[in-house]
Amino acid sequence: MSNKSNPPNGTPIKKRPAFWQIAAIAFFVLYMFLPIISTYMFSIATRWDRSILPEGYTLQSYVRAFQASYFTVTLRNSLILSISSVIVSLMIIVPTVYWVHTRLPRAKSLLEILMILPFGIPTVVLALALVRVYSLTPLSRSPVLLLGAVIVYSMPFMYRPVANALQAIDAHTLTEAGQSLGANTFRILMSIIVPNILPGILSGSLLVFATVFAEFTLTRLIVGASFKTFPLLLVEYTRINGNIAAAFSVISFTIAWLASILILRVGSKDHAAQTEAMQAR
Amino acid sequence: MAKNTRGNIRVGAWLGLVPFLVFCLAFEFIPIIFLLRGSFIDKTTQGLTMNHYLQMGRAIYTNSFINSIKLSGITAIIGVILGTIIGYAIYRWPSERLRQALISLSDVTTNFAGAPLAFAFIVILGMNGVITQFLIQYFNYNLYPKFTIYSFSGLMLAYVYFQLPLMVLLVIPAFSAIKKEWKESAESLGANNFQFWRRIGLPVLMPSLFAGFTLLFANAFGAYATAYTLVESQLSLVTLQIGYMIAGEVRHDPGIGMAMAVLSLIIMGLSIGIYQLTTVRARKWTKS
Repeated sequence: MSNKSNPPNGTPIKKRPAFWQIAAIAFFVLYMFLPIISTYMFSIATRWDRSILPEGYTLQSYVRAFQASYFTVTLRNSLILSISSVIVSLMIIVPTVYWVHTRLPRAKSLLEILMILPFGIPTVVLALALVRVYSLTPLSRSPVLLLGAVIVYSMPFMYRPVANALQAIDAHTLTEAGQSLGANTFRILMSIIVPNILPGILSGSLLVFATVFAEFTLTRLIVGASFKTFPLLLVEYTRINGNIAAAFSVISFTIAWLASILILRVGSKDHAAQTEAMQAR
Repeated sequence: MAKNTRGNIRVGAWLGLVPFLVFCLAFEFIPIIFLLRGSFIDKTTQGLTMNHYLQMGRAIYTNSFINSIKLSGITAIIGVILGTIIGYAIYRWPSERLRQALISLSDVTTNFAGAPLAFAFIVILGMNGVITQFLIQYFNYNLYPKFTIYSFSGLMLAYVYFQLPLMVLLVIPAFSAIKKEWKESAESLGANNFQFWRRIGLPVLMPSLFAGFTLLFANAFGAYATAYTLVESQLSLVTLQIGYMIAGEVRHDPGIGMAMAVLSLIIMGLSIGIYQLTTVRARKWTKS
Protein backbone atom coordinates (compact mmCIF):
# COMPACT_ATOMS: atom_id res chain seq x y z
CA MET A 1 0.00 0.00 0.00
CA SER A 2 2.75 2.43 0.98
CA ASN A 3 4.57 1.43 -2.16
CA LYS A 4 1.67 2.54 -4.25
CA SER A 5 1.10 5.88 -2.57
CA ASN A 6 4.70 6.95 -2.27
CA PRO A 7 5.77 9.57 -4.73
CA PRO A 8 8.35 8.13 -7.12
CA ASN A 9 11.36 7.83 -4.89
CA GLY A 10 13.34 10.93 -5.50
CA THR A 11 12.61 11.06 -9.21
CA PRO A 12 12.18 14.69 -10.13
CA ILE A 13 8.54 14.99 -11.13
CA LYS A 14 7.89 16.97 -14.25
CA LYS A 15 5.43 19.75 -13.65
CA ARG A 16 3.45 18.94 -16.74
CA PRO A 17 2.48 15.45 -17.83
CA ALA A 18 3.78 14.46 -21.25
CA PHE A 19 1.39 13.98 -24.14
CA TRP A 20 1.87 10.20 -24.15
CA GLN A 21 0.90 10.11 -20.46
CA ILE A 22 -2.34 11.98 -21.12
CA ALA A 23 -3.11 9.69 -24.06
CA ALA A 24 -2.39 6.51 -22.08
CA ILE A 25 -4.50 7.58 -19.12
CA ALA A 26 -7.33 8.86 -21.32
CA PHE A 27 -7.42 5.48 -23.08
CA PHE A 28 -7.44 3.66 -19.75
CA VAL A 29 -10.21 5.79 -18.23
CA LEU A 30 -12.30 5.44 -21.41
CA TYR A 31 -11.85 1.64 -21.48
CA MET A 32 -12.82 1.36 -17.81
CA PHE A 33 -15.80 3.73 -17.87
CA LEU A 34 -17.42 3.38 -21.30
CA PRO A 35 -18.97 -0.08 -20.72
CA ILE A 36 -20.17 0.84 -17.23
CA ILE A 37 -21.63 4.25 -18.11
CA SER A 38 -23.27 2.85 -21.22
CA THR A 39 -24.95 0.15 -19.13
CA TYR A 40 -26.24 2.74 -16.65
CA MET A 41 -27.65 4.79 -19.56
CA PHE A 42 -29.05 1.75 -21.33
CA SER A 43 -30.98 0.83 -18.19
CA ILE A 44 -32.87 4.14 -18.25
CA ALA A 45 -33.19 4.53 -22.02
CA THR A 46 -36.53 4.23 -23.76
CA ARG A 47 -35.01 3.31 -27.09
CA TRP A 48 -31.33 3.26 -27.98
CA ASP A 49 -30.69 1.24 -31.07
CA ARG A 50 -30.65 3.82 -33.87
CA SER A 51 -29.05 6.94 -32.38
CA ILE A 52 -25.91 7.97 -30.51
CA LEU A 53 -27.77 9.06 -27.40
CA PRO A 54 -30.94 7.43 -26.07
CA GLU A 55 -34.17 8.80 -27.52
CA GLY A 56 -35.68 9.29 -24.08
CA TYR A 57 -35.36 8.29 -20.49
CA THR A 58 -37.54 6.17 -18.24
CA LEU A 59 -37.37 4.12 -15.07
CA GLN A 60 -39.64 1.51 -16.62
CA SER A 61 -36.88 -1.17 -16.70
CA TYR A 62 -36.42 -0.91 -12.97
CA VAL A 63 -40.13 -1.20 -12.30
CA ARG A 64 -40.21 -4.31 -14.48
CA ALA A 65 -36.98 -5.63 -12.94
CA PHE A 66 -38.43 -5.41 -9.45
CA GLN A 67 -41.60 -7.12 -10.63
CA ALA A 68 -39.65 -9.90 -12.38
CA SER A 69 -40.48 -13.28 -10.94
CA TYR A 70 -37.71 -14.53 -8.69
CA PHE A 71 -36.27 -11.02 -8.15
CA THR A 72 -36.98 -10.94 -4.40
CA VAL A 73 -36.18 -14.62 -3.94
CA THR A 74 -32.80 -14.37 -5.67
CA LEU A 75 -31.91 -11.18 -3.84
CA ARG A 76 -32.81 -12.86 -0.56
CA ASN A 77 -30.76 -15.97 -1.45
CA SER A 78 -27.77 -13.84 -2.42
CA LEU A 79 -27.96 -11.91 0.85
CA ILE A 80 -28.28 -15.12 2.89
CA LEU A 81 -25.31 -16.65 1.10
CA SER A 82 -23.02 -13.62 1.34
CA ILE A 83 -23.87 -12.76 4.95
CA SER A 84 -23.48 -16.33 6.18
CA SER A 85 -20.18 -16.72 4.34
CA VAL A 86 -18.89 -13.54 6.00
CA ILE A 87 -19.92 -14.86 9.43
CA VAL A 88 -18.51 -18.38 8.99
CA SER A 89 -15.36 -17.05 7.33
CA LEU A 90 -14.78 -14.70 10.30
CA MET A 91 -15.36 -17.54 12.76
CA ILE A 92 -12.83 -19.79 11.05
CA ILE A 93 -10.16 -17.36 9.91
CA VAL A 94 -9.83 -14.72 12.66
CA PRO A 95 -9.16 -17.15 15.57
CA THR A 96 -6.83 -19.25 13.39
CA VAL A 97 -4.75 -16.27 12.27
CA TYR A 98 -4.60 -14.93 15.84
CA TRP A 99 -3.67 -18.33 17.21
CA VAL A 100 -0.87 -18.91 14.71
CA HIS A 101 0.37 -15.37 15.21
CA THR A 102 0.72 -15.60 18.98
CA ARG A 103 1.11 -19.32 19.77
CA LEU A 104 2.48 -20.95 16.68
CA PRO A 105 4.66 -18.50 14.72
CA ARG A 106 6.39 -21.49 13.14
CA ALA A 107 3.23 -22.28 11.20
CA LYS A 108 2.94 -18.78 9.71
CA SER A 109 4.26 -19.66 6.28
CA LEU A 110 2.16 -22.85 6.18
CA LEU A 111 -0.94 -20.81 7.01
CA GLU A 112 -0.04 -18.25 4.36
CA ILE A 113 0.22 -20.98 1.72
CA LEU A 114 -3.06 -22.64 2.79
CA MET A 115 -4.89 -19.32 2.74
CA ILE A 116 -3.62 -18.25 -0.68
CA LEU A 117 -3.98 -21.69 -2.28
CA PRO A 118 -7.59 -21.23 -3.45
CA PHE A 119 -6.32 -18.57 -5.90
CA GLY A 120 -4.69 -21.43 -7.80
CA ILE A 121 -7.85 -23.52 -8.13
CA PRO A 122 -10.17 -22.59 -11.01
CA THR A 123 -13.74 -22.27 -9.71
CA VAL A 124 -15.05 -24.85 -12.18
CA VAL A 125 -12.52 -27.36 -10.87
CA LEU A 126 -13.51 -26.69 -7.26
CA ALA A 127 -17.17 -27.08 -8.23
CA LEU A 128 -16.53 -30.37 -10.03
CA ALA A 129 -14.46 -31.75 -7.16
CA LEU A 130 -17.10 -30.86 -4.55
CA VAL A 131 -20.02 -32.11 -6.61
CA ARG A 132 -18.33 -35.46 -7.21
CA VAL A 133 -17.01 -36.15 -3.71
CA TYR A 134 -20.32 -35.33 -1.99
CA SER A 135 -22.57 -36.82 -4.68
CA LEU A 136 -23.90 -39.63 -2.47
CA THR A 137 -24.29 -37.61 0.75
CA PRO A 138 -27.10 -35.31 1.95
CA LEU A 139 -24.70 -32.42 1.26
CA SER A 140 -24.92 -33.17 -2.47
CA ARG A 141 -25.79 -30.00 -4.40
CA SER A 142 -27.07 -28.36 -1.21
CA PRO A 143 -26.72 -24.69 -0.21
CA VAL A 144 -24.45 -25.85 2.65
CA LEU A 145 -22.00 -27.33 0.15
CA LEU A 146 -22.18 -24.05 -1.78
CA LEU A 147 -21.45 -22.15 1.43
CA GLY A 148 -18.31 -24.23 2.03
CA ALA A 149 -17.24 -23.66 -1.57
CA VAL A 150 -17.66 -19.87 -1.53
CA ILE A 151 -15.81 -19.64 1.79
CA VAL A 152 -12.84 -21.55 0.36
CA TYR A 153 -12.97 -19.40 -2.76
CA SER A 154 -13.08 -16.11 -0.82
CA MET A 155 -10.58 -17.16 1.87
CA PRO A 156 -7.63 -15.10 0.55
CA PHE A 157 -9.81 -11.97 0.62
CA MET A 158 -10.53 -12.38 4.32
CA TYR A 159 -7.05 -13.55 5.25
CA ARG A 160 -4.99 -10.69 3.78
CA PRO A 161 -6.52 -7.70 5.57
CA VAL A 162 -6.92 -9.61 8.86
CA ALA A 163 -3.29 -10.82 8.82
CA ASN A 164 -2.03 -7.35 7.87
CA ALA A 165 -4.01 -5.72 10.68
CA LEU A 166 -2.75 -8.29 13.17
CA GLN A 167 0.80 -7.74 11.97
CA ALA A 168 0.46 -4.02 12.64
CA ILE A 169 -0.53 -4.35 16.32
CA ASP A 170 1.57 -5.77 19.13
CA ALA A 171 -0.56 -8.87 19.63
CA HIS A 172 1.95 -10.50 21.99
CA THR A 173 2.02 -7.66 24.52
CA LEU A 174 -1.76 -7.25 24.33
CA THR A 175 -2.23 -10.99 24.93
CA GLU A 176 0.16 -10.99 27.89
CA ALA A 177 -1.57 -7.94 29.35
CA GLY A 178 -4.89 -9.77 29.04
CA GLN A 179 -3.49 -12.93 30.60
CA SER A 180 -2.03 -11.02 33.57
CA LEU A 181 -5.53 -9.67 34.19
CA GLY A 182 -6.82 -13.22 34.23
CA ALA A 183 -8.70 -13.23 30.93
CA ASN A 184 -8.90 -16.49 28.98
CA THR A 185 -7.95 -16.78 25.33
CA PHE A 186 -11.52 -16.36 24.05
CA ARG A 187 -12.01 -13.22 26.14
CA ILE A 188 -8.66 -11.78 24.99
CA LEU A 189 -9.55 -12.42 21.36
CA MET A 190 -13.05 -10.93 21.61
CA SER A 191 -12.44 -7.91 23.80
CA ILE A 192 -8.83 -6.95 23.07
CA ILE A 193 -7.66 -8.29 19.72
CA VAL A 194 -10.84 -7.96 17.65
CA PRO A 195 -11.44 -4.27 18.51
CA ASN A 196 -7.81 -3.55 17.64
CA ILE A 197 -7.93 -5.20 14.23
CA LEU A 198 -11.47 -4.08 13.41
CA PRO A 199 -10.48 -2.13 10.27
CA GLY A 200 -8.87 -5.29 8.86
CA ILE A 201 -11.89 -7.37 9.82
CA LEU A 202 -14.23 -4.86 8.16
CA SER A 203 -12.18 -4.71 4.94
CA GLY A 204 -12.05 -8.49 4.80
CA SER A 205 -15.78 -8.84 5.47
CA LEU A 206 -16.68 -6.29 2.79
CA LEU A 207 -14.42 -7.99 0.27
CA VAL A 208 -15.93 -11.39 1.03
CA PHE A 209 -19.45 -9.97 0.92
CA ALA A 210 -18.88 -8.30 -2.47
CA THR A 211 -17.14 -11.36 -3.93
CA VAL A 212 -19.78 -13.83 -2.78
CA PHE A 213 -22.65 -11.55 -3.76
CA ALA A 214 -21.31 -11.48 -7.33
CA GLU A 215 -20.42 -15.19 -7.36
CA PHE A 216 -21.81 -17.03 -10.38
CA THR A 217 -19.74 -20.11 -11.27
CA LEU A 218 -19.91 -22.09 -8.01
CA THR A 219 -23.58 -21.24 -7.52
CA ARG A 220 -24.63 -22.30 -10.99
CA LEU A 221 -22.59 -25.49 -11.03
CA ILE A 222 -23.17 -26.68 -7.45
CA VAL A 223 -26.80 -25.80 -6.72
CA GLY A 224 -28.12 -24.40 -10.01
CA ALA A 225 -31.80 -23.58 -10.14
CA SER A 226 -32.63 -25.02 -6.70
CA PHE A 227 -31.02 -22.05 -4.94
CA LYS A 228 -31.04 -19.29 -7.52
CA THR A 229 -29.02 -16.19 -6.66
CA PHE A 230 -29.01 -12.71 -8.14
CA PRO A 231 -26.09 -13.24 -10.60
CA LEU A 232 -27.88 -16.32 -11.99
CA LEU A 233 -31.02 -14.27 -12.57
CA LEU A 234 -28.93 -11.59 -14.29
CA VAL A 235 -27.42 -14.06 -16.75
CA GLU A 236 -30.85 -15.53 -17.43
CA TYR A 237 -32.19 -12.08 -18.34
CA THR A 238 -29.26 -11.27 -20.66
CA ARG A 239 -30.91 -13.90 -22.88
CA ILE A 240 -34.51 -12.82 -22.30
CA ASN A 241 -34.69 -9.04 -21.96
CA GLY A 242 -31.82 -6.58 -22.44
CA ASN A 243 -33.43 -3.70 -20.57
CA ILE A 244 -34.11 -5.73 -17.45
CA ALA A 245 -30.63 -7.29 -17.69
CA ALA A 246 -29.23 -3.74 -17.82
CA ALA A 247 -31.16 -2.78 -14.68
CA PHE A 248 -29.83 -5.90 -12.92
CA SER A 249 -26.28 -5.14 -14.09
CA VAL A 250 -26.59 -1.61 -12.74
CA ILE A 251 -27.72 -2.96 -9.37
CA SER A 252 -24.77 -5.32 -9.28
CA PHE A 253 -22.24 -2.64 -10.40
CA THR A 254 -23.61 -0.26 -7.77
CA ILE A 255 -23.20 -2.81 -5.00
CA ALA A 256 -19.60 -3.43 -6.14
CA TRP A 257 -18.87 0.33 -6.21
CA LEU A 258 -20.40 0.86 -2.78
CA ALA A 259 -18.41 -2.01 -1.27
CA SER A 260 -15.21 -0.65 -2.84
CA ILE A 261 -15.82 2.87 -1.53
CA LEU A 262 -16.47 1.48 1.95
CA ILE A 263 -13.30 -0.64 1.75
CA LEU A 264 -11.27 2.42 0.73
CA ARG A 265 -12.72 4.37 3.67
CA VAL A 266 -12.02 1.57 6.13
CA GLY A 267 -8.67 0.89 4.44
CA SER A 268 -7.44 4.45 4.99
CA LYS A 269 -8.31 4.13 8.67
CA ASP A 270 -6.49 0.82 8.59
CA HIS A 271 -3.49 2.63 7.16
CA ALA A 272 -3.69 5.33 9.85
CA ALA A 273 -3.96 2.68 12.54
CA GLN A 274 -0.89 0.97 11.12
CA THR A 275 1.23 4.12 11.20
CA GLU A 276 -0.06 4.88 14.71
CA ALA A 277 0.99 1.43 15.88
CA MET A 278 4.39 1.95 14.30
CA GLN A 279 4.87 5.27 16.04
CA ALA A 280 3.81 3.85 19.37
CA ARG A 281 6.53 1.22 19.20
CA MET B 1 9.40 -32.67 33.51
CA ALA B 2 9.86 -29.12 32.32
CA LYS B 3 10.65 -30.44 28.87
CA ASN B 4 7.52 -32.53 28.96
CA THR B 5 5.17 -29.60 29.69
CA ARG B 6 6.80 -27.58 26.96
CA GLY B 7 6.18 -30.45 24.59
CA ASN B 8 2.54 -30.50 25.67
CA ILE B 9 2.23 -26.81 25.02
CA ARG B 10 3.59 -27.30 21.54
CA VAL B 11 1.12 -30.07 20.76
CA GLY B 12 -1.63 -27.92 22.26
CA ALA B 13 -0.59 -25.07 20.01
CA TRP B 14 -0.95 -27.26 16.92
CA LEU B 15 -4.42 -28.34 18.12
CA GLY B 16 -5.53 -24.73 17.64
CA LEU B 17 -5.12 -25.21 13.90
CA VAL B 18 -7.44 -28.23 13.79
CA PRO B 19 -10.76 -26.50 13.03
CA PHE B 20 -9.24 -24.61 10.11
CA LEU B 21 -7.49 -27.72 8.79
CA VAL B 22 -10.67 -29.78 9.04
CA PHE B 23 -12.48 -27.14 7.02
CA CYS B 24 -9.74 -27.12 4.36
CA LEU B 25 -9.74 -30.93 4.24
CA ALA B 26 -13.50 -31.15 3.85
CA PHE B 27 -13.99 -28.48 1.21
CA GLU B 28 -10.67 -28.35 -0.56
CA PHE B 29 -8.13 -31.17 -0.19
CA ILE B 30 -10.28 -34.31 -0.01
CA PRO B 31 -12.41 -33.21 -3.00
CA ILE B 32 -9.28 -32.40 -5.03
CA ILE B 33 -7.65 -35.74 -4.13
CA PHE B 34 -10.87 -37.52 -5.02
CA LEU B 35 -10.82 -35.71 -8.36
CA LEU B 36 -7.22 -36.74 -9.00
CA ARG B 37 -8.02 -40.34 -8.18
CA GLY B 38 -11.21 -40.32 -10.23
CA SER B 39 -9.35 -39.17 -13.32
CA PHE B 40 -7.42 -42.49 -13.30
CA ILE B 41 -10.33 -44.82 -12.47
CA ASP B 42 -12.36 -46.57 -15.11
CA LYS B 43 -16.10 -46.09 -14.57
CA THR B 44 -17.17 -49.65 -15.32
CA THR B 45 -14.25 -51.83 -14.25
CA GLN B 46 -13.15 -49.61 -11.31
CA GLY B 47 -9.58 -50.38 -12.35
CA LEU B 48 -6.75 -47.98 -13.05
CA THR B 49 -6.74 -46.44 -16.51
CA MET B 50 -4.97 -43.75 -18.53
CA ASN B 51 -7.83 -43.72 -20.98
CA HIS B 52 -9.29 -40.37 -19.82
CA TYR B 53 -5.99 -38.64 -20.43
CA LEU B 54 -5.52 -40.37 -23.79
CA GLN B 55 -8.98 -39.11 -24.79
CA MET B 56 -7.68 -35.55 -24.39
CA GLY B 57 -6.08 -36.03 -27.81
CA ARG B 58 -9.55 -35.84 -29.41
CA ALA B 59 -10.12 -32.62 -31.34
CA ILE B 60 -12.96 -31.36 -29.13
CA TYR B 61 -10.77 -31.42 -26.00
CA THR B 62 -7.52 -30.36 -27.66
CA ASN B 63 -9.33 -27.40 -29.21
CA SER B 64 -10.70 -26.24 -25.91
CA PHE B 65 -7.21 -26.30 -24.38
CA ILE B 66 -5.76 -24.48 -27.39
CA ASN B 67 -8.52 -21.84 -27.26
CA SER B 68 -8.14 -21.33 -23.51
CA ILE B 69 -4.35 -21.04 -23.70
CA LYS B 70 -4.56 -18.71 -26.71
CA LEU B 71 -7.15 -16.49 -25.06
CA SER B 72 -5.27 -16.33 -21.75
CA GLY B 73 -1.89 -15.83 -23.44
CA ILE B 74 -3.03 -13.07 -25.80
CA THR B 75 -5.00 -11.14 -23.18
CA ALA B 76 -2.11 -11.51 -20.71
CA ILE B 77 0.38 -10.11 -23.25
CA ILE B 78 -1.94 -7.22 -24.13
CA GLY B 79 -2.50 -6.64 -20.43
CA VAL B 80 1.23 -6.65 -19.64
CA ILE B 81 2.18 -4.26 -22.48
CA LEU B 82 -0.67 -1.75 -22.11
CA GLY B 83 -0.75 -2.10 -18.33
CA THR B 84 2.96 -1.29 -18.09
CA ILE B 85 2.62 1.82 -20.27
CA ILE B 86 -0.48 2.99 -18.39
CA GLY B 87 1.13 2.12 -15.07
CA TYR B 88 4.19 4.19 -15.91
CA ALA B 89 2.00 7.09 -17.04
CA ILE B 90 0.22 6.94 -13.68
CA TYR B 91 3.47 6.52 -11.74
CA ARG B 92 4.99 9.64 -13.32
CA TRP B 93 1.80 11.71 -13.14
CA PRO B 94 2.47 14.95 -11.21
CA SER B 95 -0.76 15.10 -9.20
CA GLU B 96 -0.85 12.77 -6.19
CA ARG B 97 -4.65 12.96 -6.09
CA LEU B 98 -5.13 11.74 -9.64
CA ARG B 99 -2.55 8.98 -9.09
CA GLN B 100 -4.48 7.76 -6.07
CA ALA B 101 -7.81 8.03 -7.90
CA LEU B 102 -6.52 5.94 -10.83
CA ILE B 103 -5.08 3.31 -8.49
CA SER B 104 -8.43 3.09 -6.69
CA LEU B 105 -10.19 2.84 -10.05
CA SER B 106 -7.94 -0.10 -10.95
CA ASP B 107 -8.67 -1.70 -7.59
CA VAL B 108 -12.40 -1.59 -8.32
CA THR B 109 -12.48 -2.46 -12.01
CA THR B 110 -10.18 -5.47 -11.77
CA ASN B 111 -12.96 -7.11 -9.77
CA PHE B 112 -15.63 -6.19 -12.34
CA ALA B 113 -15.55 -9.52 -14.07
CA GLY B 114 -18.35 -11.90 -14.76
CA ALA B 115 -21.88 -11.55 -16.05
CA PRO B 116 -22.49 -7.79 -15.54
CA LEU B 117 -19.22 -6.98 -17.31
CA ALA B 118 -20.04 -9.33 -20.18
CA PHE B 119 -23.44 -7.67 -20.52
CA ALA B 120 -21.82 -4.19 -20.46
CA PHE B 121 -19.77 -5.24 -23.49
CA ILE B 122 -22.93 -6.39 -25.25
CA VAL B 123 -24.35 -2.91 -24.55
CA ILE B 124 -21.40 -1.14 -26.22
CA LEU B 125 -20.40 -3.61 -28.92
CA GLY B 126 -23.47 -5.74 -29.55
CA MET B 127 -25.29 -5.52 -32.89
CA ASN B 128 -27.05 -2.32 -31.71
CA GLY B 129 -24.33 -1.32 -29.29
CA VAL B 130 -23.23 2.22 -28.55
CA ILE B 131 -19.88 1.96 -30.35
CA THR B 132 -21.40 -0.05 -33.19
CA GLN B 133 -23.99 2.73 -33.70
CA PHE B 134 -21.36 5.44 -33.40
CA LEU B 135 -19.24 3.87 -36.14
CA ILE B 136 -22.24 3.47 -38.44
CA GLN B 137 -23.48 7.04 -37.96
CA TYR B 138 -20.17 8.90 -38.11
CA PHE B 139 -17.88 6.68 -40.15
CA ASN B 140 -20.48 4.78 -42.13
CA TYR B 141 -18.75 1.59 -41.02
CA ASN B 142 -20.58 -1.45 -39.75
CA LEU B 143 -18.61 -3.77 -37.47
CA TYR B 144 -21.09 -6.55 -38.12
CA PRO B 145 -21.11 -9.19 -39.49
CA LYS B 146 -17.29 -9.30 -39.65
CA PHE B 147 -16.95 -8.72 -35.93
CA THR B 148 -19.28 -9.94 -33.22
CA ILE B 149 -19.00 -9.55 -29.48
CA TYR B 150 -20.06 -13.19 -29.09
CA SER B 151 -16.73 -14.46 -30.43
CA PHE B 152 -13.08 -14.99 -29.60
CA SER B 153 -12.16 -11.38 -30.33
CA GLY B 154 -15.21 -10.09 -28.43
CA LEU B 155 -14.24 -12.19 -25.45
CA MET B 156 -10.70 -10.83 -25.71
CA LEU B 157 -11.94 -7.26 -25.31
CA ALA B 158 -13.92 -8.23 -22.21
CA TYR B 159 -10.97 -10.10 -20.68
CA VAL B 160 -8.57 -7.20 -21.29
CA TYR B 161 -11.01 -5.12 -19.24
CA PHE B 162 -10.08 -6.95 -16.03
CA GLN B 163 -6.48 -7.77 -17.06
CA LEU B 164 -5.44 -4.14 -17.61
CA PRO B 165 -6.15 -2.78 -14.12
CA LEU B 166 -4.64 -5.89 -12.51
CA MET B 167 -1.38 -5.29 -14.39
CA VAL B 168 -1.46 -1.57 -13.49
CA LEU B 169 -1.70 -2.53 -9.80
CA LEU B 170 1.12 -5.08 -10.12
CA VAL B 171 3.51 -2.91 -12.11
CA ILE B 172 3.32 0.43 -10.26
CA PRO B 173 5.29 -0.75 -7.20
CA ALA B 174 7.89 -2.26 -9.57
CA PHE B 175 8.77 1.15 -11.02
CA SER B 176 10.11 2.30 -7.68
CA ALA B 177 12.93 -0.24 -8.23
CA ILE B 178 14.35 1.90 -11.01
CA LYS B 179 16.54 4.29 -9.08
CA LYS B 180 16.91 7.89 -10.05
CA GLU B 181 20.69 7.57 -9.71
CA TRP B 182 20.81 4.89 -12.38
CA LYS B 183 19.06 7.13 -14.84
CA GLU B 184 21.39 10.02 -13.97
CA SER B 185 24.48 7.86 -14.32
CA ALA B 186 23.24 6.51 -17.62
CA GLU B 187 22.60 10.04 -18.85
CA SER B 188 26.02 11.26 -17.75
CA LEU B 189 27.54 8.40 -19.72
CA GLY B 190 25.70 9.66 -22.76
CA ALA B 191 22.84 7.15 -22.92
CA ASN B 192 19.57 8.35 -24.39
CA ASN B 193 16.12 7.44 -23.12
CA PHE B 194 15.76 4.44 -25.40
CA GLN B 195 19.16 3.06 -24.47
CA PHE B 196 18.42 3.51 -20.79
CA TRP B 197 15.19 1.51 -21.00
CA ARG B 198 16.69 -1.17 -23.21
CA ARG B 199 19.82 -1.75 -21.17
CA ILE B 200 18.73 -0.97 -17.62
CA GLY B 201 15.06 -0.17 -17.16
CA LEU B 202 13.52 -3.18 -18.90
CA PRO B 203 16.00 -5.77 -17.54
CA VAL B 204 15.26 -4.56 -14.01
CA LEU B 205 11.51 -4.62 -14.68
CA MET B 206 11.64 -7.97 -16.46
CA PRO B 207 10.99 -10.24 -13.44
CA SER B 208 7.98 -8.09 -12.49
CA LEU B 209 6.65 -8.13 -16.04
CA PHE B 210 7.09 -11.87 -16.28
CA ALA B 211 5.42 -12.36 -12.90
CA GLY B 212 2.60 -10.13 -14.14
CA PHE B 213 2.23 -12.26 -17.26
CA THR B 214 1.89 -15.51 -15.28
CA LEU B 215 -0.68 -14.05 -12.88
CA LEU B 216 -2.72 -12.53 -15.73
CA PHE B 217 -2.54 -15.82 -17.61
CA ALA B 218 -3.90 -17.75 -14.61
CA ASN B 219 -6.51 -15.04 -14.06
CA ALA B 220 -7.88 -15.51 -17.58
CA PHE B 221 -7.46 -19.28 -17.73
CA GLY B 222 -9.70 -19.89 -14.72
CA ALA B 223 -12.39 -17.39 -15.75
CA TYR B 224 -15.85 -18.84 -16.44
CA ALA B 225 -18.73 -16.42 -15.88
CA THR B 226 -17.67 -13.84 -18.50
CA ALA B 227 -17.17 -16.55 -21.12
CA TYR B 228 -20.42 -18.31 -20.19
CA THR B 229 -22.42 -15.09 -20.60
CA LEU B 230 -20.78 -13.99 -23.86
CA VAL B 231 -19.95 -17.03 -25.97
CA GLU B 232 -21.71 -19.92 -24.24
CA SER B 233 -21.59 -22.58 -26.92
CA GLN B 234 -20.01 -20.59 -29.78
CA LEU B 235 -16.48 -21.11 -28.49
CA SER B 236 -15.00 -24.11 -26.77
CA LEU B 237 -12.97 -23.26 -23.65
CA VAL B 238 -11.68 -25.62 -20.96
CA THR B 239 -13.71 -24.03 -18.17
CA LEU B 240 -16.89 -24.05 -20.28
CA GLN B 241 -16.36 -27.75 -21.15
CA ILE B 242 -15.91 -28.71 -17.50
CA GLY B 243 -19.01 -26.65 -16.70
CA TYR B 244 -21.12 -28.58 -19.26
CA MET B 245 -20.04 -31.86 -17.72
CA ILE B 246 -20.99 -30.81 -14.18
CA ALA B 247 -24.34 -29.41 -15.24
CA GLY B 248 -24.94 -32.66 -17.13
CA GLU B 249 -25.64 -30.77 -20.36
CA VAL B 250 -23.19 -33.00 -22.18
CA ARG B 251 -23.29 -36.73 -21.59
CA HIS B 252 -19.73 -37.84 -21.21
CA ASP B 253 -17.75 -40.16 -19.07
CA PRO B 254 -17.26 -38.18 -15.82
CA GLY B 255 -13.62 -39.30 -15.86
CA ILE B 256 -13.04 -37.07 -18.90
CA GLY B 257 -14.21 -34.01 -16.99
CA MET B 258 -11.95 -34.95 -14.10
CA ALA B 259 -8.94 -35.40 -16.40
CA MET B 260 -9.62 -31.96 -17.89
CA ALA B 261 -9.93 -30.51 -14.40
CA VAL B 262 -6.64 -32.08 -13.31
CA LEU B 263 -4.85 -30.75 -16.40
CA SER B 264 -6.19 -27.23 -15.86
CA LEU B 265 -5.23 -27.46 -12.20
CA ILE B 266 -1.67 -28.26 -13.32
CA ILE B 267 -1.64 -25.33 -15.78
CA MET B 268 -2.96 -22.95 -13.10
CA GLY B 269 -0.62 -24.34 -10.47
CA LEU B 270 2.39 -23.89 -12.75
CA SER B 271 1.51 -20.27 -13.56
CA ILE B 272 0.82 -19.36 -9.93
CA GLY B 273 3.98 -21.21 -8.82
CA ILE B 274 6.13 -19.38 -11.37
CA TYR B 275 4.45 -16.15 -10.30
CA GLN B 276 5.42 -16.73 -6.66
CA LEU B 277 9.02 -17.60 -7.62
CA THR B 278 9.45 -14.59 -9.89
CA THR B 279 7.97 -12.13 -7.38
CA VAL B 280 10.62 -13.24 -4.90
CA ARG B 281 13.19 -12.49 -7.58
CA ALA B 282 11.57 -9.18 -8.47
CA ARG B 283 11.55 -8.13 -4.83
CA LYS B 284 15.33 -8.24 -4.90
CA TRP B 285 15.26 -4.90 -6.74
CA THR B 286 12.59 -3.20 -4.68
CA LYS B 287 14.36 -3.95 -1.40
CA SER B 288 16.26 -0.98 0.08
